[in-house]
Amino acid sequence: MNCRFLVLSVFFICCAAGLSAQTTPVLKDTVLTQRQKDRLFLRQAGQDQIDKIKKNFTKTWNKVLLGFTDNDVMLMAGMNFAKQSIRANDYTSPFIYAVEQKNVYKPGFIVGFRVDGKYKEKHPYAVAFTLNKYASGTNYKETKSVEPFNGSFSNFKAAEQSLSLNLTALYKKIIPISDTAKYKFYVVAGPSLDIRLSGQGLDNQVNYNYRKMFLRAHLGVEFVNDDFYTIFFHYKQGLHSITRSPIQTGFNNFDLGMLIKASDLF
Amino acid sequence: MKKYLNLIITFLFALLSITNLTSCSKDSTGAEIKLTQQMLSEKTWFLDYSITGKSKRTYLGQSTYFIDFFKNDSTNDSDGLNGKYSVEKIGNILQIHVTAKTSSINSVEYEIIYNIESIGRRNLILYFTLPGETVPTKRYFSTKN
Repeated sequence: MNCRFLVLSVFFICCAAGLSAQTTPVLKDTVLTQRQKDRLFLRQAGQDQIDKIKKNFTKTWNKVLLGFTDNDVMLMAGMNFAKQSIRANDYTSPFIYAVEQKNVYKPGFIVGFRVDGKYKEKHPYAVAFTLNKYASGTNYKETKSVEPFNGSFSNFKAAEQSLSLNLTALYKKIIPISDTAKYKFYVVAGPSLDIRLSGQGLDNQVNYNYRKMFLRAHLGVEFVNDDFYTIFFHYKQGLHSITRSPIQTGFNNFDLGMLIKASDLF
Repeated sequence: MKKYLNLIITFLFALLSITNLTSCSKDSTGAEIKLTQQMLSEKTWFLDYSITGKSKRTYLGQSTYFIDFFKNDSTNDSDGLNGKYSVEKIGNILQIHVTAKTSSINSVEYEIIYNIESIGRRNLILYFTLPGETVPTKRYFSTKN
């Protein structure tokens, strides 16, 4: 907490130093008080700095993203169905949990936006930023017994609820079926990165078992109806465990939802 | 182009540094104690089994010993002992420290320390070595619901 405060303080000091570093000639206006002159001077200095940053950023942005054209901002929303497959391996802890197998995909929701465009006017792509509320099923692939008690136990308690920010880059390939002038079918694929926004439950705060970020492979099909809307069905397969060693937790989910051009709504 | 690449690398590095600096500090002992208290309190724990070496006693289906732990750190048991308890971690072992006495006037206050082998929402395994014994006794409790 102290570190966060320190970083924020340093950030604000840097901003203040940057803003006040400008030197512009003082206006020779005898009507204005010294206080007003100071204010005017500071505002002018700040504005110059902001304009300069904006100009530089636009210049850089255009140079870096050279070749990315026909960009459309799409709003997306839908449902996700997620499941975790857990193997606790040699993980030990004084805490024991009676295992309740929930080997099912549980529903959550997604909401966000996506930029669809073409790279070098040939390769359709999409970059999506979504908030994902997962409520995942939990499939414990191995359990232990604690004799003489009856039942199956695990030292690891899987977190069923989580909120994450997902960043996905997709390459789109059109499937030439039906009248492509009206209806388009796409196959999409690409990497997907989830950044966990929700904290870990008390059960997992003992060892901070869950990772902050996890990478997954994203595959899917999309149906575009005459550019009115897009219906998508995606599958995300975990590329590594979302928990720290020795616990191995595979996390995968299906996404089902709709995309609408932001310009059609606003 | 090289200039922009450097810019991007610097930005990513700064972002990573800030993320590392602002990440939470991990106080696992505090979390362990808090979780133990949460699992232990507001419940009545019934003794199901007692095992000392190879000797096993079962109390299932019988009138058995029980102990209550409350949120306000108070405790009482079926032997009539009332008092306070606390959860502590000594070395690598979680312990329940109970200070209790009976309600009679001349009662002496006892301090009992139970080592926790395992604790769950419905199951509890404690172990301790009784005076004059070398083999530890394990007691298995459950909440019956």
